[in-house]
Amino acid sequence: MAIKEKAWYPIVFMFIATLFFSAILIAFGSFTRQRVQDNERIAFERAVLEALPIDLPLKASPPAIHTMYLEYIKDSTDASAGALRYMKNDSLIAYALPLEGPGFWAQIRGVIGIAADKKTITGISFYEQNETPGLGGEIVKQDFRNQFIGKLLADKDIPLEIRMQSVLLDESSVHAVTGATQTSTRLGRFMNDQLMQWLHAMKETN
Amino acid sequence: MLGKKKTKDVVLDALWGDNPVFRQVLGICSALAVTNLVINTVVMSVAVIFTTALSSFTVSLLRKYTPRVVRMMIETLIIAFYVILFDQALKAYWPDMSRSLGPYVGLIITNCIIMGRAEAFANANPPAISFVDGFFSGAGYAIVLLAVSVVRELLGMGSILGIPMPYFSTGLWDRWIIMVMPPGAFFTLAIIVWILRSVKLAHEAKIQGAKK
Repeated sequence: MAIKEKAWYPIVFMFIATLFFSAILIAFGSFTRQRVQDNERIAFERAVLEALPIDLPLKASPPAIHTMYLEYIKDSTDASAGALRYMKNDSLIAYALPLEGPGFWAQIRGVIGIAADKKTITGISFYEQNETPGLGGEIVKQDFRNQFIGKLLADKDIPLEIRMQSVLLDESSVHAVTGATQTSTRLGRFMNDQLMQWLHAMKETN
Repeated sequence: MLGKKKTKDVVLDALWGDNPVFRQVLGICSALAVTNLVINTVVMSVAVIFTTALSSFTVSLLRKYTPRVVRMMIETLIIAFYVILFDQALKAYWPDMSRSLGPYVGLIITNCIIMGRAEAFANANPPAISFVDGFFSGAGYAIVLLAVSVVRELLGMGSILGIPMPYFSTGLWDRWIIMVMPPGAFFTLAIIVWILRSVKLAHEAKIQGAKK
């Protein structure tokens, strides 16, 4: 009887093959783990810096981003209600509030910058999203993000409204992405929920 | 060593005669999902070519030792191995693209073209020719996907590979938003498959006519 026809052979073969291929994947995973973690951290740090009034070069290298982040950004405190702090010469310039919520296809993660007056938006940036390229995916583009700069948080249930293109804007609203109603609506919903929570927490702690 | 005629036949079959997309209608899920931007399609195509070629090679290498009862499990294991390897490499060295392709790289494991070539070809042929078959089957898939993505990105966004195209990126062209949305993929793929099949049928009829 050939060895291939023995009853135990398929089990042993499968076991050895699985062990072999898994071992290579585990080794490769260990080799790249640090790099993957660094990429995730840099993506977040870039988003924080982009949301704040900091002159970040478009093609800043990962080490440059990390250095700037360490230089300017301080951890959140009870007084900042979960928002990171942008400090310069020991004075508070702005807050960077991480945002997270469901998009049309997957979770959207980003950061919104709010000036020290707790009212003026300094910028918004996204470091994770899987919206439709060309439609919802346009939220990462400058055209959409630049609208937020200088807007004021309104003292009402929706501090920063995302309106359809046909509706006129005021000091507390921006236009949605054309053809991406779902992404814009969902982004507006979780962004405003989290802004409201933050404003409420800031009022309580300060 | 590969026989010259056989290699040529394998290449032509994979690219044209038995093209996985427009002849066998395989791998359609990802063909619809990733073709709204040409750059995404290029990376996806490279991933499929890499996986198809190397998994066919490995399946063929192990074919004499693989028991028939666990044959498909081994093939899935090998395919998953190469896909995860590619996915990890993207996450480590091209994180923006990894984020852009989202779950679709992982879903290459379920691409019928890869399992199809492993079952139909690599299981019964030597490693080198299996590699060639896998490589060109992936390339056959890539050619159709690229055609779909060029049409979609051009009509939907007025650009190709993110580069604005004359006329289409100007105010003269009203962007067809539907082309970058899922329905645009269905229209474009169907029209491209229709054209390619018509050309192929006409070509075959011509050959038949010449034989008579």
